[in-house]
Amino acid sequence: MPQLGESIAEATIVDIKVKPGDEVVDDQEIIDVETNKAVMGVTTPCKGKIDKITVQLKETYPVGAVLGYIEASEQDAARFAKHAPPPPPQKEVAEEIPARADQEVAPARERKIVARDGEGDRVGGLPVPAITKGATFMSPRVRARMAELQLTTADLAGIMGTGAGNRVTIKDLESFLHKIENQTAHEASKIRAGVADAMRRSWTRPLSTIGSSVNLDPALQDRQSRDPKPGLGLYALRAIALALAENPAAAAKFIGNRVVQSNSIDLGIAVEAEDGIMVPVIRGADKTSLADLTTKYKELVDLARQRRISPDMQAGGIATVSNFGIFGMGWGTPIPLPDQTLLLGLGMGKKVPSWDETKNEFVPKTEAQITLSFDHRSIDGGGASRLLKRVIELLENPKEL
Amino acid sequence: MSITYLEAIREAQAKLLREDDRVFIYGQDVGGTFGGAFKATKGLAMEFPGRVLNTPISEDAIVGTAIGAAMQGMRPIVEMQFADFSSIALNQILNNAGTHYWRTGVPVPITVRLPSGGTKGSGPFHSQSMESLYAHYPGLIVMTPATVEDAYTMLIEAVAIDDPVVYCEHKYLYYHLKADKLPDKGLPTGRARVAREGRDLTIVSYSAMAQESLAAAEELAREGLEVEVVDLRSVKPLDTDTVLASVARTGRLLCVGESFPWGGATAEVIARVISQGFHLLDAAPQRLNAKDTPIPYHPNLWSAHRPNAKNIVAKARALLRE
Repeated sequence: MPQLGESIAEATIVDIKVKPGDEVVDDQEIIDVETNKAVMGVTTPCKGKIDKITVQLKETYPVGAVLGYIEASEQDAARFAKHAPPPPPQKEVAEEIPARADQEVAPARERKIVARDGEGDRVGGLPVPAITKGATFMSPRVRARMAELQLTTADLAGIMGTGAGNRVTIKDLESFLHKIENQTAHEASKIRAGVADAMRRSWTRPLSTIGSSVNLDPALQDRQSRDPKPGLGLYALRAIALALAENPAAAAKFIGNRVVQSNSIDLGIAVEAEDGIMVPVIRGADKTSLADLTTKYKELVDLARQRRISPDMQAGGIATVSNFGIFGMGWGTPIPLPDQTLLLGLGMGKKVPSWDETKNEFVPKTEAQITLSFDHRSIDGGGASRLLKRVIELLENPKEL
Repeated sequence: MSITYLEAIREAQAKLLREDDRVFIYGQDVGGTFGGAFKATKGLAMEFPGRVLNTPISEDAIVGTAIGAAMQGMRPIVEMQFADFSSIALNQILNNAGTHYWRTGVPVPITVRLPSGGTKGSGPFHSQSMESLYAHYPGLIVMTPATVEDAYTMLIEAVAIDDPVVYCEHKYLYYHLKADKLPDKGLPTGRARVAREGRDLTIVSYSAMAQESLAAAEELAREGLEVEVVDLRSVKPLDTDTVLASVARTGRLLCVGESFPWGGATAEVIARVISQGFHLLDAAPQRLNAKDTPIPYHPNLWSAHRPNAKNIVAKARALLRE
């Protein structure tokens, strides 16, 4: 029974024009119903065959009641199948009469938290926006002040709100700003602000990291025979490039409800600039030999020092390598760039005793921790593990790189 | 020496009768020794013979006559016995007086005094606050003095203004509000007054409710909450600038009025603040009016029907907690 008018809650069946077995087309009038205003037709949502009519002539049924069933194609059925009608909206009567200020709002009026199937609140068939109270509510004044100072909600993380539901009031914001006034501050550089914005955006995703150890001796040995000598970060870059060329789905992005895959294995390599990180992207890294990568990398380091890495040069990558081992760090959980889903982190190599099955003894090995941070919307632990395992395999067999 | 709100109105009328030949007072029972239902014109008929005239019981005729006199160059002050009765003269006030200058270029400088607001037991036809209704119509000025000083200066100004003025004097303030002396000058109509400076919340009000709001502010001050009270003084023209400046200081707004809620002056203030000062608001603005029911007769029901210091405090406290 469709919604026939704003105040109509039910209607009476006055004519049934079809019987089970009849073929019907889309938007065909099959039942006439009468309300206190007029006689109206109920039409078919799609074409098909009448399976059964479940209502009777001269009986009255409420809006939303099932009148019958149509056998339709799978596609149409999926599109047009009706769900149970949403429960009627609850209005707080007390709010309609603003003058009832001196009456205590009865506790019985407290809304219970009730799970609802299907869509959320609706009034007259139209969705109602989420409630504008509670911890995440920012008043117009707070938002105006934030806009004035170019603050984001991340900047407000340190404020404990004193408003309803612990929301941040304008007073909370102003006293927070007052407190930091007394601390030494200087204007952030463009690079710092850029990195801050990128990391804040990246962090809005569910990120995770898995790691393992990798034997660096084969790569270190391979390195001796090359000129110029590639850094270990480039070995890692080449390894993940080949691993992704074999399995490009591992770097796909999750956008809306689609999985978007890139056509080209474009990888970023983190280069430290004066007060921030630049991540120039090497296009088609799987098709670039290790020797060429080494030359390219040197060029990029020079450009970074001259601050000539443009935003264009940093866009479009699908994964990045970060070699924080050069800072002496063992392992880390780096944050993938906001427009990428993977970040391979390489720690510092250390000489450690490693059990050798064939020799039945501990042998010295140069081992490093290698971690892969990933956007958990795109890929799961299993997929990330398989990718990392392949990277480790390739790294430990540098002839294949 | 102390002077009441009512005495200030009488003094203003005496001064006007004395200094301006065009002024006369016109209403039911205003003349003779009686001097009006509330004694607003006591003694004036004797002091100014032929200038304080009794009328028949027909508000329509009273205002119609005054309009005619005003068109001919006089400055009549019409005393409605109770604001509520003026509804009988709506056509005269809204349509004839309000539009005449716009249609013909001839001004209609009448002043209609409305004894407004309730007292215990006054009931539904002797208690109404009609400022919102008159403010709704173009062509009228609507004054709502909240202090003895404003009652005096604004009535004098009302007669000087060439437009028709609806002057809403509050019956409850007549004898309850006292001042030491009358001023020579006051703020012009159309300018609101910050009656009490504050920091945490702005209450915008007028007439008797401005006094109740001040009492509420005193109560809240004991809890360390500083409430700013803005007295609109005139509901039309409405001083949006002063209101916005106050909300800019405090971020929170509560409008209190004694008229019915639908389309009241409080709703007008909030509509203006939201459309012009949305970014100033740290919480949703609120209003407090009489209940949306006819005004009760029984004293207990009447007390519960209108805003008072107690329920203003409760509403303000809730808003401060948002």
